[in-house]
Amino acid sequence: MQTSRARLFKEYKAVQREKGADPDIQLVCDDSNIFKWTALIKGPSETPFEGGVFQLVFAIPEQYPLQPPQVRFLTKIFHPNVHFKTGEICLDILKNAWSPAWTLQSVCRAIIALMAHPEPDSPLNCDSGNLLRSGDIRGYQSMARMYTRLAAMPKKG
Amino acid sequence: MLNKDKQVDEGGEESASSVLLPEWSYDIYDDIIKQHSEAEASESEKNPLIGDKEPLSVLEAEYQSSCPVWVKKIKFLKQKFAAIRRARGDGNCFYRCFMFSYLEHILETRDKPEVDRIKANVEESRRTLMGLGYADFTFEDIFELFLEQLECVLQGTDSISHEELVRKCRCPSHSNSVVMFLRFVTAGEMRKRSEFFEPFVMGLASSNVEQFCRSSVLPMAEESDHVHIIALSSALGVPIRVVYLDRSTSDNDGATVNHHDFVPSSGDSSASSSSSSSEVTEPFMVLLYRPGHYDILYPK
Repeated sequence: MQTSRARLFKEYKAVQREKGADPDIQLVCDDSNIFKWTALIKGPSETPFEGGVFQLVFAIPEQYPLQPPQVRFLTKIFHPNVHFKTGEICLDILKNAWSPAWTLQSVCRAIIALMAHPEPDSPLNCDSGNLLRSGDIRGYQSMARMYTRLAAMPKKG
Repeated sequence: MLNKDKQVDEGGEESASSVLLPEWSYDIYDDIIKQHSEAEASESEKNPLIGDKEPLSVLEAEYQSSCPVWVKKIKFLKQKFAAIRRARGDGNCFYRCFMFSYLEHILETRDKPEVDRIKANVEESRRTLMGLGYADFTFEDIFELFLEQLECVLQGTDSISHEELVRKCRCPSHSNSVVMFLRFVTAGEMRKRSEFFEPFVMGLASSNVEQFCRSSVLPMAEESDHVHIIALSSALGVPIRVVYLDRSTSDNDGATVNHHDFVPSSGDSSASSSSSSSEVTEPFMVLLYRPGHYDILYPK
């Protein structure tokens, strides 16, 4: 508990210090609980998520950083490796490939990389995975873009 | 096409009702963690991270009915070794054995020059990791923890007894942090000398040393192989003898047991592994390898 708190505090300071260093990621710690964080990440360019801003929510276990943070999309997203209803993310570094060398910031970067490079062979969203696996890139992109517009872009007017 | 239409329907309905998902409860995770720690508690009774010292005859008895070759070999081992201390087979056994064996050695010998020597290597490793671009806060705490532990065993009797060392090495958070420290040191060494280690990892699941470290060195519970041992031994300058208990039989009687010494070279860049030569003193750290697992061996 003490270890995780100390580590998170250091991450918090690093995030404050490097504010704006990565314009695609905005990490925010809960005012009253250092074990709860949220992040806003920008959809990577040249992907159907371009132009969208996606909210992630982190729940940090007490054994952090020996155990990975729990991360989910709060913003709806149509992506093979993200559960359509719960926002759960299938990413190896959030499970058995986790190591304390990762930080909340670098986890965000890994999630952005996953958005740009979906892995349809281990899908949490089978419909999305099937589109890619059957080679229907256009179908996948238009679905993903539609949800980006619906859920991840500011409403006009 | 059908599939896609269905998806649009479902999705349309979904997004109309809630574009943003409601914040879910984290209770699920708490439950999982609770179950996990209960399982851990019962596991640590039966099968601690680091076991007690047991006479080799215990091991012999285990294979009595199942594996005559091993029984022969264990008999051979008994000529030179007295006891075994097991590490839990959780993928961290090599590091766990290294940790306990090294700290126990310092506790018994109070070898101050050796501690000063390894501290310099730890410092070098810290600089290596910084140079490689790892954020300092990701490893500084566990480096500190190891150095404190080292100081404790060096100071001796009052601050730490042998039982206390065993207790600490069985405490998951402490023990796993030291394992993590050793994983960082191993990864740093491999990446620093990546041209040396490249041929070892080529053709494995990874295409280069950096990727190998990310997938097979740094994550907890990733098992260790030859290459990890070479890297850790040379990074910390600690020679390791590995005794191999396998099913191989030699031509004469099948009862000899091979070993290999991992000897760090004093030079920075030269190869680090060699079979034991006469001028080198025998490594104090002896590990017993059975396929997929390491334990600690105690010479007579």
